[in-house]
Amino acid sequence: MSELESVTGAEVESPVLARVLTALGGLVLEVEEQTPQRGWVRVDPARVREAARIMYEDLQARLATVTGIDVRDGIDILYHWCFDGDAYVVTLKGLAEAPAMAIDSVGQDLPAADWIEREMHDLLGAEFRGHPDMRRLILADDWPEGAYPLRRDFKVPKVDATGKRETDQWAGAADPAKTPKPSASQPKRPKPGQTLINVGPFHPLQEEAEFFQLYCEGETVVDMDMRTSYNHRGIEELSSRLTWDQVPFLVERVCGICSASHPWAYIRAVETLCGVQAPPRAEYLRTIVAELERLHSHMLWIGLAGHFLGYNTVWMWGWKYREPVMDILELVTGSRIHYANNRIGGVRRDVSPDLYPEIRKAVDSLKAPLELITKAVLDDPVLHARLKNVGVLSEEEARRWAVTGPTARGSNVPIDVRRDEPHGAYDEVEWDVITRPEGDVFAKAVVRCLECFESIKIIEQCLDQIPDGPIAAEVDHVPRGESCGHYEAPRGETFHYIRSDGGPGPVRHKIRAPSYVNIPSFRASCIGQQVADVTIILASVDPCYSCTERMARLVDADTGKPMGTFQDMVRASRQRTRRLRGQV
Amino acid sequence: MSLAMFGLKKSPWVYHVNVGACNNCDIEVLELLTPRYDVERLGMVLVGTPRHADALLVTGMCSRQAEPRLREIYRQTPKPCVVFCIGSCACTGGIFRHGYHFSQPVDQVIRDEDPDAVIAYVPGCPPKPEAMIAGAATALAAL
Repeated sequence: MSELESVTGAEVESPVLARVLTALGGLVLEVEEQTPQRGWVRVDPARVREAARIMYEDLQARLATVTGIDVRDGIDILYHWCFDGDAYVVTLKGLAEAPAMAIDSVGQDLPAADWIEREMHDLLGAEFRGHPDMRRLILADDWPEGAYPLRRDFKVPKVDATGKRETDQWAGAADPAKTPKPSASQPKRPKPGQTLINVGPFHPLQEEAEFFQLYCEGETVVDMDMRTSYNHRGIEELSSRLTWDQVPFLVERVCGICSASHPWAYIRAVETLCGVQAPPRAEYLRTIVAELERLHSHMLWIGLAGHFLGYNTVWMWGWKYREPVMDILELVTGSRIHYANNRIGGVRRDVSPDLYPEIRKAVDSLKAPLELITKAVLDDPVLHARLKNVGVLSEEEARRWAVTGPTARGSNVPIDVRRDEPHGAYDEVEWDVITRPEGDVFAKAVVRCLECFESIKIIEQCLDQIPDGPIAAEVDHVPRGESCGHYEAPRGETFHYIRSDGGPGPVRHKIRAPSYVNIPSFRASCIGQQVADVTIILASVDPCYSCTERMARLVDADTGKPMGTFQDMVRASRQRTRRLRGQV
Repeated sequence: MSLAMFGLKKSPWVYHVNVGACNNCDIEVLELLTPRYDVERLGMVLVGTPRHADALLVTGMCSRQAEPRLREIYRQTPKPCVVFCIGSCACTGGIFRHGYHFSQPVDQVIRDEDPDAVIAYVPGCPPKPEAMIAGAATALAAL
């Protein structure tokens, strides 16, 4: 009997899974090898911290996200670990048994798990022993204590045609009168000598409401805190009430600029569970739409980044030249955004070959403006002065926070789901993953600019090579089981987990958008930076709200009197540009 | 017509509020400012505070967390003002209306604050920029 078998009683085919089982040793309780790319391992819940340390430090895996599921015996905590170079995802499961629903916190060791544990606490009531900060993250300030939306017994009162709820009582709530938990809506008082700059939650150019608190000593940011929830729409819970085919329409609307990405990640998960492969023509069509999305998303970011720095021309030109992409998307899918082109098994609509010349013309028309903008970014000495060595996220921090997308690739972490786990047409066309070692905002800007050219390459090759044939495989039943799928959205990896009981829809659908792991890394990249640089650093991860400008107040820590507005911060940012331009 | 109303109709200054949207409507709102649609030729300018605004462009389904803040923003906006509910989510709650974090449709929140509020609806998911301009023009002409 091999050492592996003696430890786990299991013979596994995948060398990656075998490595994991050997390293975890006696922690392993059960193993399931689902596909050559997916493995599921139940571990001793008392030793999840050790398991996490082994996965992160010994095996160099990346924590994609953690899913909590209300099961009969408690709350099952699923840690999804990615081996990017091996195209493998191992999920470790630890049961937080009822009635305590408690398990050791992995977030106290690994920042990548920090936020997700707070979220699982809010939504499921799981306790994470040792987590340093259990303030409310995702639910509203006035949310009743003891009401856990993702628990099976939680019932949301129906909303009638006028938008009124039948009742204000939330079934499954322990006691609606209980005092709401503290949240970051009431920021901690700054220490003596520090100034608290509240950034948010609303601002003219901000696309989403988010609330940042920057603690500054003089001009330098020494700490920051964040409050989300303004945008929380309860999509995971809504998904569990829909059918498998309805879910793509819902997850499309997780984010406006990742409309192709979220459905594709979800659909990959379902197709893995069903054992279905979409036909080749469908994979090409999916790829074309997704790369068009990446193009318009990156150009959007370039425009907004220019705007923060005071280069409004870059904003106007970037967005003007992105319009042809929106037109083509409308031509090909019927809508500028929210394309609804993807379905389980393939795509919804075919694209007639008559349209190929239009698509080619549109992407061709982007080459000259993109070159202009890329050269401007790469060569302009003022942009160098503003963006180089600003907001540096080191490679080590990038791995600890498990960031993805251009945020990771700009910090020398060469991960890209399109290359690491080939799907669509990505392994049939020639393209490069763009990586930069510096980790500063400049590196991330360069990565995004150059990725636009790669996207154009991919689209053109797809149009050259796209095969004829059916556009969808028929799927009539989704069997029992669970599955996860991921896709490289413009901002990074979007990760979806689904669980099926053979019914008409998912019983649990976990969605982790890329910004969820990228935004918390601000704590690493903003610390030690100048206040005037904060706007561009916050924007450099291209958060899922297109813009990070907020309404801010500068408050004197001693007197509590307001000292200025956010307009002053933006002015400071632009003044810095002017000063540097004079020096350069 | 009062001078304030004349100014509002001639050049409505807008303040954009996202109370729980997917950003699509918000991006399309920003696109109104960019060269292809260029609403500045119609006098529309994005302002930095509700206190300077003639119109609020509200997007999103109004989450529980955002609702008190939306009320505050409406109170801060000087009257007369027009509230535009941009997108299906702002009009009715959209695809998120049955979710646990949905509070009330935006128009109910505003009417609760001010029963005489002027509210215009631009449905769509997202409404195309042309639809937003048409909605704005129609609403302003009706004032």
